[in-house]
Amino acid sequence: MRVALFIPCFVDQFYPEVGKAMVSVLRRLGIECVFPEEQTCCGQPAFNTGYWDEARALARRYCEIFNGYDAVVSPSGSCTAMVRNFYPELLGSSPPASVNTFEFSEFLVKKLGITDVGATFPAKVTYHDSCHTLRELRLKQEPRALLRAVRGLELVEMTEAETCCGFGGTFSVKFPAISTAMDDVKCQSIVATGAQYVVSVDSSCLMQIGGWLRRKNLPVQTKHLAEVLAQT
Amino acid sequence: MNPNACRFQRAARAKAFDLRHRAIVAKNIATYHAAVARGLARFADWESARRRAAAIKWEVMNHLDRYLEEFERNVLARGGHVHWAETAAEASQQVVALAKQHGVRRAVKSKSMVTEEIHLNSALEAAGITVLETDLGEYICQLRGEPPYHIVTPVMHLNREQIAATFHEKFGTPLDATAEQLAGSAREQLRAEFLRADMGITGANFAVADTGMIGLCTNEGNGRLTTALPRLHVAIVGIEKLVPRLEDLALFWPLLATRGTGQFLTVYNTLIGGSENLHVILLDNGRTRLLADAEQRNALHCIRCGACLNVCPVYRTVGGHSYGTTYQGPLGSMITPHLRGWRDWSHLPYASSLCGKCADVCPVRIPIHHHLLHNRRNVIQRRLDSPIQRLAFRAWLWAVRSPRRYALGGRLARWAMRIGIAAPFAKAWTDHRELPPAPRETFRDWWRTNP
Amino acid sequence: MSARDNILQRVRDAVRAPAPRPPAPAANSIWPPLGEAEARFREEFTALKGEIIESLPEFLAVFEKIATDGSELAGKGNATAREADLGVTACECLVAQTGSVVVTCRNAEERALSALPPVHLVVAHREQIVPDLNAALALLRTRYGGDFPKMVSVISGPSRTADIEKVLVMGAHGPKRLAVHFVRS
Repeated sequence: MRVALFIPCFVDQFYPEVGKAMVSVLRRLGIECVFPEEQTCCGQPAFNTGYWDEARALARRYCEIFNGYDAVVSPSGSCTAMVRNFYPELLGSSPPASVNTFEFSEFLVKKLGITDVGATFPAKVTYHDSCHTLRELRLKQEPRALLRAVRGLELVEMTEAETCCGFGGTFSVKFPAISTAMDDVKCQSIVATGAQYVVSVDSSCLMQIGGWLRRKNLPVQTKHLAEVLAQT
Repeated sequence: MNPNACRFQRAARAKAFDLRHRAIVAKNIATYHAAVARGLARFADWESARRRAAAIKWEVMNHLDRYLEEFERNVLARGGHVHWAETAAEASQQVVALAKQHGVRRAVKSKSMVTEEIHLNSALEAAGITVLETDLGEYICQLRGEPPYHIVTPVMHLNREQIAATFHEKFGTPLDATAEQLAGSAREQLRAEFLRADMGITGANFAVADTGMIGLCTNEGNGRLTTALPRLHVAIVGIEKLVPRLEDLALFWPLLATRGTGQFLTVYNTLIGGSENLHVILLDNGRTRLLADAEQRNALHCIRCGACLNVCPVYRTVGGHSYGTTYQGPLGSMITPHLRGWRDWSHLPYASSLCGKCADVCPVRIPIHHHLLHNRRNVIQRRLDSPIQRLAFRAWLWAVRSPRRYALGGRLARWAMRIGIAAPFAKAWTDHRELPPAPRETFRDWWRTNP
Repeated sequence: MSARDNILQRVRDAVRAPAPRPPAPAANSIWPPLGEAEARFREEFTALKGEIIESLPEFLAVFEKIATDGSELAGKGNATAREADLGVTACECLVAQTGSVVVTCRNAEERALSALPPVHLVVAHREQIVPDLNAALALLRTRYGGDFPKMVSVISGPSRTADIEKVLVMGAHGPKRLAVHFVRS
């Protein structure tokens, strides 16, 4: 299987640890992967703001770069949803690169049939369902199955697990009052679980959630799923 | 920013950390969710029910001319009257004209969002006709001089104390009156009005094409009394309210009730037709514009259940009054730019994090959040964006098309973050939240040394 | 060109290009099995706070002013709907799945009968119970064909409101009590 890494611009620039963690897990499982260096951005910021011509140019670029791989794996549900669910509408077709792009937990559980990656992380953890991952990719059990297989990890559910954290891309800065109120509701729900960590498959959500947790000095840390699975 | 956008931002800021509002709304919505969970359990296959309803609505909307003509034919054949109104003003004027023609002095109104849309009450009052809202929630809004907060539960934002205070002010009822006492007081007040009203005004939850009937769904029975007692009944019906056959209601009534309130059926599902005293006004008011947009035509499938409002985290935060529109929440953000103009309402499709919960719950499977994306594209295509933003995205595209320019841009951004330059963009973030630390090494830097 | 012509023309022009057809729905049943119809009706009806009256004379004895629809089952009244403490009507059918009674009327006075008096009593035969809404609407179609009554109301319990803090209050504008009595056939 020819596997390529799609490391979203966001992760590449601001959360490289997440990308490294995903690579370490894949290597531990014996998966050889390549990182096509021409990749930059999937175009979602332009798409979500309504600049579809600009987004389309980036979509075409992505599909050229990632053509010919059996799987393209990404540590972002949001960007995966963009490529898989929205590229067809943008491009008027379903190129192989779009069809074969998978979010990391989806790749492990649904493509490789693996839930135990040999990780150890003794901590109380709650999981945040990012909206794209839950509602566009329809992944809910897969990240949780991976977390449950982690040695020493205690998974607790928050009441507002499925509620949006308020990031929504530029929404977070165009409507900051609403965005932070949503963030507050989310974080209160997280804190109420007594968890030490909140885990998600989207770094953008974790930036939003972490931003409020840190501003309010709340006793919870953020971790990407890949970072948890990389712990041994 | 257009004036509506400014108003929305101000209202949103005022409500976002109004913790009392947050608590009241959260409590009411939690009750709603519990009821809906029970309601959904009554279905063996909720998804099939949605798909069937979506198929029926597709059939109507894509052959709407045929169904409108059939509906009209059947209303007329049974002695009723049909009027057509292209605009809100026309529709209001028609109601006023009918009232004058029939010597109407007092009117009672069953809850109808379309009558809010056409500002009917103020038109009637200007013509010297008293109009009383009969739905308890709408009645309370009318007493308070407020617009409805929600299309299904008009006073979701008020607690009992606030309502009791209003009743105390108007009728002298005790400040500590219970919900039962308050409802009892409203029943008494409005009973007298039902009995002396000359005209009953309703909307229509459904308009049945093959029998020429108006379908009304209420829990209170105010729809029954509004149409049973006064000598004239005027029903204002958006052209999208049609269903093809009487039998379709066996599906639509439970769908509406389940997502509307969690009930299996609303208490009174009433079908009215065949009366000479029935005047139906079929209203366009921009609906044909939305109809002509084949991509978003299914926005007209909406049965006004209110579920999308109830699950929307933005609605829950800012409340129904912040939108400044008849239809609030995801529904409002989807249809208002089409119905009332892109220039004035271009901000609404952006006032969403696109979480998609609305589409998940919609009983007729409208892809609401996708239409918000379509609306954003429409705003840009109409060049209603700021030239600065347009330029910024062009520049951004130029940068990210090239891995070298992208890498340079990223390095600059991280450097700016590290030395703490507060660009206006960052301020909107840092006013409320911490920024993450800016790494020195990117993933691709690392990959080059660890391939 | 009238408003009607303009609107219809705009509609015709608008739908010339069809919107993409949604996926065809599956043929499976939306509803779970019903169970025995009368038992189900009683269960649903009483859950909605409807009352099943076993002894009719006992029930009627407390009411002074009674209005009826004049049908054989409903009997004779002594008051108008406006004055009455109790409104008595027959019904078209009763719906087991939803615990509803289906009431129709042909004239203005009758319209108010099941809505205005504070208590509404429906007198029915057990044979009038039908399984579900589909059956109820089919029955109306068969019975009335092209000439439906001016009002058809599917009534599911006494009137209520939850507009105030979602607290359920029985008896909003319609009747506070809804009762059904099955006559012995």
